[in-house]
Amino acid sequence: MKRLRLTLFSTRYPWLVVITTALAVVFFGAQFPKVKFDNDPENMLSKDEYVRVLHNEVKERYQLFDFVIAGVVNTEHADGIFNVESLGRIDALTHELISLRKNADGLPEVLRDGKPFAPDLQPKSWWQRILARVFSHDVNNLFDESGGSVIITDEIISPSVVDNIRQDGTGQLAIEYLMERAPLNRDEALRVKHDAMGNPLYKGTLVSEDGHAMVLYIPIIAKPYSYNVANLLEALTREWPAADKVYITGQPVAQDTFGVEMLVQMASSAPLAGLAIFLLLLFFFRRISLVVAPMVVAVVSVICTMGLLIGLGYDVHIMSSMIAIFLMPISVADSVHILSEFYDVYPRFRDKAETIKHVISHLFKPMLYTSLTTIAGFASLATTPIPPVRVFGLHVAFGVALAWVLTMTLVPAYIMLFVRTKTLDALQPDGQHKRSGALGRRLASVGDFSYRRWKVILFITVALVAVSAYGISKIRVNDNPVKWFTENHKIRVADDVLNSHFGGTYTAYLTLRPAVAESSNPAGRVTALREFILARMEPGSEVTHEFESILNQAVAEAGQERTADEKAFFAGLTAKVEALDTRINGGWQALGDVINYLEPDQVTLQAISQAIQAQGGAQERQRLMQALRAHSEITGAALQEQALEIIDRQSTISLLSLLNEALAEVTAPAFKQPANLAWVEQLQGFLATAPKVGKTSSAVDALKKASFELNYDASAAQERNNTFYSIPGSPSAVGQVFVQLEGMKKKDSLFHLVTKDYEEVNLWVQLKSGDNTDMQAVVELTQGWIRDNPAPVAMTSGWAGLTYLNVVWQEKMVTGMLSSLLGSFVVVLIMMVVLFRSLIFGVLAMLPLTVTITFIYGVIGLVGKDYDMPVAVLSSLTLGLSVDFAIHFLERAREITAATGSWQKAVAAMFQEPAMAISRNAIVISVGFTPLLFAPLVPYKTVGFFLATIMAVSWLATLFILAALITVLQKYLFKEVV
Amino acid sequence: MKKLTVLLVAAGFAGILLGELSVDEIVERANQASYYAGDDGSADVTMTITDKGGSTRSREFTVLRMNTGAGTQKFYVYFNKPADLYKQVFLVWKEVAEGRDDSRWMWLPALNLKRSIAPGDKRTSFVGSDFVYEDVSGRNLREDIHELVETTADQYVVKNTPVKPEAVEFAHYTIWIDKATMLPRRAEYYDKTGKLSRTVEATKVETIQGFPTVVESVAKDLNSGSTTVNTYAAIKYNIGLNERIFTERFLRRPPREAIR
Repeated sequence: MKRLRLTLFSTRYPWLVVITTALAVVFFGAQFPKVKFDNDPENMLSKDEYVRVLHNEVKERYQLFDFVIAGVVNTEHADGIFNVESLGRIDALTHELISLRKNADGLPEVLRDGKPFAPDLQPKSWWQRILARVFSHDVNNLFDESGGSVIITDEIISPSVVDNIRQDGTGQLAIEYLMERAPLNRDEALRVKHDAMGNPLYKGTLVSEDGHAMVLYIPIIAKPYSYNVANLLEALTREWPAADKVYITGQPVAQDTFGVEMLVQMASSAPLAGLAIFLLLLFFFRRISLVVAPMVVAVVSVICTMGLLIGLGYDVHIMSSMIAIFLMPISVADSVHILSEFYDVYPRFRDKAETIKHVISHLFKPMLYTSLTTIAGFASLATTPIPPVRVFGLHVAFGVALAWVLTMTLVPAYIMLFVRTKTLDALQPDGQHKRSGALGRRLASVGDFSYRRWKVILFITVALVAVSAYGISKIRVNDNPVKWFTENHKIRVADDVLNSHFGGTYTAYLTLRPAVAESSNPAGRVTALREFILARMEPGSEVTHEFESILNQAVAEAGQERTADEKAFFAGLTAKVEALDTRINGGWQALGDVINYLEPDQVTLQAISQAIQAQGGAQERQRLMQALRAHSEITGAALQEQALEIIDRQSTISLLSLLNEALAEVTAPAFKQPANLAWVEQLQGFLATAPKVGKTSSAVDALKKASFELNYDASAAQERNNTFYSIPGSPSAVGQVFVQLEGMKKKDSLFHLVTKDYEEVNLWVQLKSGDNTDMQAVVELTQGWIRDNPAPVAMTSGWAGLTYLNVVWQEKMVTGMLSSLLGSFVVVLIMMVVLFRSLIFGVLAMLPLTVTITFIYGVIGLVGKDYDMPVAVLSSLTLGLSVDFAIHFLERAREITAATGSWQKAVAAMFQEPAMAISRNAIVISVGFTPLLFAPLVPYKTVGFFLATIMAVSWLATLFILAALITVLQKYLFKEVV
Repeated sequence: MKKLTVLLVAAGFAGILLGELSVDEIVERANQASYYAGDDGSADVTMTITDKGGSTRSREFTVLRMNTGAGTQKFYVYFNKPADLYKQVFLVWKEVAEGRDDSRWMWLPALNLKRSIAPGDKRTSFVGSDFVYEDVSGRNLREDIHELVETTADQYVVKNTPVKPEAVEFAHYTIWIDKATMLPRRAEYYDKTGKLSRTVEATKVETIQGFPTVVESVAKDLNSGSTTVNTYAAIKYNIGLNERIFTERFLRRPPREAIR
């Protein structure tokens, strides 16, 4: 009776067991105050995961931040959002956000109408206040350690603080903010609209194309502040009129809100599940004193497991927040078996210790194995590449093991100490039959049916499996953190509304850079320089010849690798060219200079002739005066212009300018080269046609817009102006336009789109959907396009952004879960073979769960439910849980068949007490998970629904299929009996 | 010119003899010392912008400046490097009188384009650096309320609060002015939440032709972690610039004073 040692010890020293348990609870419970929460799906990937590292690099390189997105929609006003009042409110809000600071009381305060204003950020409902207190969530926490605002005010995207280049109406170019101040009248409001719509970076991003909506992007220093920032936004816009609807969303807000609601779930779902289980057990056993034991087991397991998790320093993540909900029903299962049996056999012994001994010796093996299989199922999650899932799996495994130990020790100790013999004696004899009547009768008929109609059952099973297999082939792996909220959740609503107005609130970043850095080939550059210059010189002239020899020498030097200090090398070359230039053009330049300095009003032929007397060469002077004589009728500025023009025509092209142009050309970084920029433009054109892509933005958009505004001439034809809405034709021209953008009012905003060395661009891809499948499709389409339309120089591309990260961790999750499922399947199969010491029994034990898993995933595929994170986790769970029923069933079937002599005789007995225990268990667990159905968070709903379904299906599969199969296979199964 | 220096020094002595200067006198003299030395002048500037990650961008340009009376000035900024900015020009006519705006033009040679820029905002970044236009041409004294907050052994500390806070990105700034040279040595700009957001410092000062002159200045954007260092070489005063240089005609055809 080695296996009973633990239990016998507990019946002998029940107080010791109770005290030890109490101490454990105190110890683990003491860890709770150390709890830290982590609601960032980014942590689904390890910190050193390649894409995550890349994502952070991209964010750092382009100074990108996580945004809280606040949309303001006005569909009532004729001018949409572009009315004086709405724009005024948006302007005020922007400045309030910028002015956020901590006041003397340590509370957040903004400047409203120039005066300090501390909004009340506390939640309105008392329930939320209590929760905030319990989880020490401080809504006023809007400051970093040094007391600075968590909002990165310099990077806010709002019409009040984004750049705008425009024509100011007098032919001047104005560089200012899109909305320098709140508009005073309709004209000013519509001017904001006109400018915003005219800027490709703003239309569809900052303002909606339909003119109804505007979005503020509020960057924050870290995602965990987004909930508080969203809350602040709500407080600041609380008094806005109904016409201006405010929607707050963005992935960080979604995640953070999810985290906060997760706490609510933890605080409500687990106790509710506990309550449901408790009531159900009470219904089955009618004695509170009896039912308390499994509840204590459940609560102790949960407290110890969570205490362990927190004590080990793990954050409570979305996955681990579900530990309580998983453990609760699982940990009561064994005790339910014990109680159920204890309850049935007590009248036989009329002695608690004896009854316990009998029950445990009887149930020891199946209970051990059901626990081991459940542990194996969860522990197999440790093989997945997703850290929070690993933590979750191992801790649940720990909890299940603990629950088993408690069932073996605490439950007997409890019965010994707290269940009064008198009540047991009084209650037992009749109570059971009365209550189990309905269920018992039905079970008996199930047994009968399974035995006689095994063909029907097997046929239905095969049909179901076939349909399910088809369903599995239809499974769509997809996830979207925003869809973790139910459809009418405010975040989901905001997401829908804003995505219907805008290019999309889901952002992904596509970076492009040349595969090989140009700078690695200085000699090649010098050769290219020579070629560029010679192609622009008059062939065969003496100047060309001289220039060529300078260049040839430079090429030779570069060939000898004397260009290590490239700057000095080019400076040397410049000096040589300058000397040549002075020699060739110096005379003309001197003349030009002198004429340039003349007072235009006083310019006459005479004056010019006098001024240039001692300047330049005699030859140049003579030629100039000769040419000017043809223009003797003009004087003043016109003549001055004419003279300068003649000089420009006569002198050879400025060699120094040509050299610089060539230098700009050959040293231009990748994205100052028009050809590469044009390729990016084409890629954007292609992406605009991709499904779910609302919009892309790039440095090319900014460049074209700036080029247009710079070149705009109010007096010229629109056609002429429009031709400048394009990429300038040379690297110098591109560089000169870009440098205007570098020196805008909002410093460095260009560098969100291109690196400061112009070697890499960053395309902002706005998606209307955050579904991983949609993101994945865009990634593949882009790869295909780049393959079919190679860039002028080979480019390497990289994706980043939260939307893309989700794709990656999801992929990992699916493959990880699949291998962990297969792994645990094999492990459990081996365990079954060992348990039953029979291959055929082992295989048989696996059948109900195989059918269950196939069926569940078939249903998921058929109804089009996305295979997402919670669903993936369910697979391993299913395996561990649903095999339990089969274990109990087969173990008892074997026992009773041996006792009765044949399966036929055993069936009736099987479908009494054993089937009853299995059924109670199934019902308890199913019902235990149902509170999750009322959760406002979809993953909890999913888990609740599928777990209940899994229990129900595997229960039915066990009772029907196993019974039917045993009927078919009885002569192989019970050889020794038959 | 010497005369003027002597005069200035004498005035300084007078100030000391007559007690401390008033804050208006201090800022007026500091303004004169930092922006109005001589009748005109030129300098070659090497600007190096270093971002938080340590990568650098540099620009080289020549600045010609001329005082044109009653506080007005004209600036001609001619770019030499990088190659793609070669020959780009900025031209500024600075106005100080009430209600008058600066005039600005630029010449983009590669686009063959001359544009006049609306006066608008002078707090925009100067060619992408951490200096703003106002650092280059000087902020109108009338735009701030000045307060002498401290007088140390060798410096005046003046706090400046904008008259129109909505027009600028800072809430106030404090400058440290050397008593000896009247040159501002350090300026600290605080944003509207009270955080120090930008500093401008005169890190090296030399006396050139009798004028205390900043030969290296550093601007730091504390929010972005970016730093810009300007070094000034070939500084010359009183070179007799022709005012006609500061006209549109010279955008396209740079004056010899700018080229060499």
